[in-house]
Amino acid sequence: MSDSAAHAGPHRLTPWLATLAAYIVPLGFVLAPMALFLVYSFFSVDHGSIVFSPTISNYVRFFTDPVFLPIFWRTCLLCLAVALLCVLFAFPVAYFLTTLRGRSRYMLLVLLLVPLLMSYVIKIYAVRSILGGNGMLNRALLATGLIDKPSMLFVFNLNAVLLTLTVLLIPFAVLPIFLSLERIPKALRHASADLGATNAQTFWRVTVPLSLPGTLSAMSFVFVLAIGDFLTPQMVGGQSGFTFGRIIYSQFGTAFNWPFGAALSVILAAVVILAIRLGGRLESKHGGAK
Amino acid sequence: MAEAGILLKLRSVSKSYGATAILHSIDLDVRDGEFITILGPSGSGKTTILRLIGGFTQPSGGQILLDGSDIAAMPINRRPFNTVFQDYALFPHLTVEANVGYGLAVRGTPRAEITKRVADALELVQLGPLGKRFPAQLSGGQRQRVALARAIICRPRLILLDEPLAALDVELRRHMQTFLKSIQTEIRTTFLFVTHDQEEAIAMADRICVMSAGRIEQIGSPHEVYYRPGTEFVAKFFGENNLVPGTLGPVEGTTRAIDTAVGRLVCSIDGQPKIAALPAGSPALAVFRPEAVGIGDAAEGENRIAARIDQVAFGGASTMVNTAAVYEPQQILKARLQSRPDGTSLSQGETIPLVVPASACRLVAA
Repeated sequence: MSDSAAHAGPHRLTPWLATLAAYIVPLGFVLAPMALFLVYSFFSVDHGSIVFSPTISNYVRFFTDPVFLPIFWRTCLLCLAVALLCVLFAFPVAYFLTTLRGRSRYMLLVLLLVPLLMSYVIKIYAVRSILGGNGMLNRALLATGLIDKPSMLFVFNLNAVLLTLTVLLIPFAVLPIFLSLERIPKALRHASADLGATNAQTFWRVTVPLSLPGTLSAMSFVFVLAIGDFLTPQMVGGQSGFTFGRIIYSQFGTAFNWPFGAALSVILAAVVILAIRLGGRLESKHGGAK
Repeated sequence: MAEAGILLKLRSVSKSYGATAILHSIDLDVRDGEFITILGPSGSGKTTILRLIGGFTQPSGGQILLDGSDIAAMPINRRPFNTVFQDYALFPHLTVEANVGYGLAVRGTPRAEITKRVADALELVQLGPLGKRFPAQLSGGQRQRVALARAIICRPRLILLDEPLAALDVELRRHMQTFLKSIQTEIRTTFLFVTHDQEEAIAMADRICVMSAGRIEQIGSPHEVYYRPGTEFVAKFFGENNLVPGTLGPVEGTTRAIDTAVGRLVCSIDGQPKIAALPAGSPALAVFRPEAVGIGDAAEGENRIAARIDQVAFGGASTMVNTAAVYEPQQILKARLQSRPDGTSLSQGETIPLVVPASACRLVAA
């Protein structure tokens, strides 16, 4: 009796410790810094040093200054466009993937995932070398004679940011769409054909609607990744390709206004959380009919 | 031109995957308006036949003839058949109404007509008020009805049903059997029903096609396959049966004798020309149902077998008596007797005379 009681002590403690360890990482390294940001966003800066008294001036500045709101909306729009483009390009790839079997499917999947293993900066440089004034794209267009001098349409501006983000984030969109397509039972496509539908009708009436949960989560996924990115706009955006991420970055760097940067970060985090919730909401609404 | 009354003909249809043959030279006629059941254990190829007719897979050889012309090249969506799938395969993102109306919508039927016909179809399967629900909000039996309504709404010439009752519990299954049969009678459409459940087949079918290992064992009415089995497999497949091996004797009119270890048995061969044509001395089996066995003195035209009682099992309406033949203790013989309120006087170890009328005894080639 006493023996079992003595053993019960450490046994009962182990799961507690394991749980604690599991929570320490997210609590200590994610939630705590975010809380700190929230607190900092209510401070201000005076002559290069932070004033630790609560104020909402940072938020007032964001909503009243004519510089920030337009950039904020433009960034949201840009990232929405990136999300749409990514899904548009990823869907055919994911669909093609579901038609493959065995080795060829595995090979293509690995090929799609290889870019995820590469350094982000290297990938940006790679895309930049394609898009630049003297880049591959311009040279190819010149060689074919479509244009007679290098086009500046996608050199160091928002278009370049849009293209680069799209190229870099497509793999993130392929996977959720592929998984949702995979989950559609073959019997449903058979049933559709059996009822007289052509292949195109089956695709639009059965396959696309049923893949919507995955497509929506892919969209919110890409949107969240794109809106938090400051490196890509920094490297390919030039002077005109200014995004919200870059503004936040500059607040912590050249502007040295941590409280204002924190306030902008809080706003960004709110947008991200909203996007994830929205994606999840639509997803469960469409997937709920299962 | 097609033969009158025959909707679909399968002629030497075979199917194999690589070196594995699933179906061997199947010949089957589906008559217009009948309820035909393809019955067999799993792996017998019964679902493959349905999939070949539906167009979900292509035959390796032979022909499937509709109105006299081969439909091998006809795509699924052009065949005038509709299928009720095993797991119903309802579209989860569409309401019951949209599911049922799907076949009409993809054919570009006017909206008003779709609405009317969907309402009619739902009325027919007694799901009138549930049209706005999603499949996930329905019970198994209700989904079953939606699947049926979805199949009949396009007025197909043949409805293929792939073990549609397999997922339902016993009670509901009985109910759905009666229901399906009544629907089929009402709309007068040909039903081809695939199942592994003998009772289900007997309860519903006009004709049963019994399959085993990719071959057709017998095609006939439920009564025929039950009481007049064509093969040993069929004799063993439907419920409990008595099989006594022996060698064939001479034919005498509509009966033929068989010499067995328990003595000479006289069996009816009425309507079985194949058995009549076998030479004397061929190995065969005498087959008779436990419920055909009586106890007592044999009259003219009856077989008598002395047996020792092994076990008496009361089973409600009937009592099953398991016995071993006195002259061949390895030979198990079963008799199903009507139960009596005062019980039976039979006891274990007792020797009794079993009586089987020749008319209830049949022969199958061994």
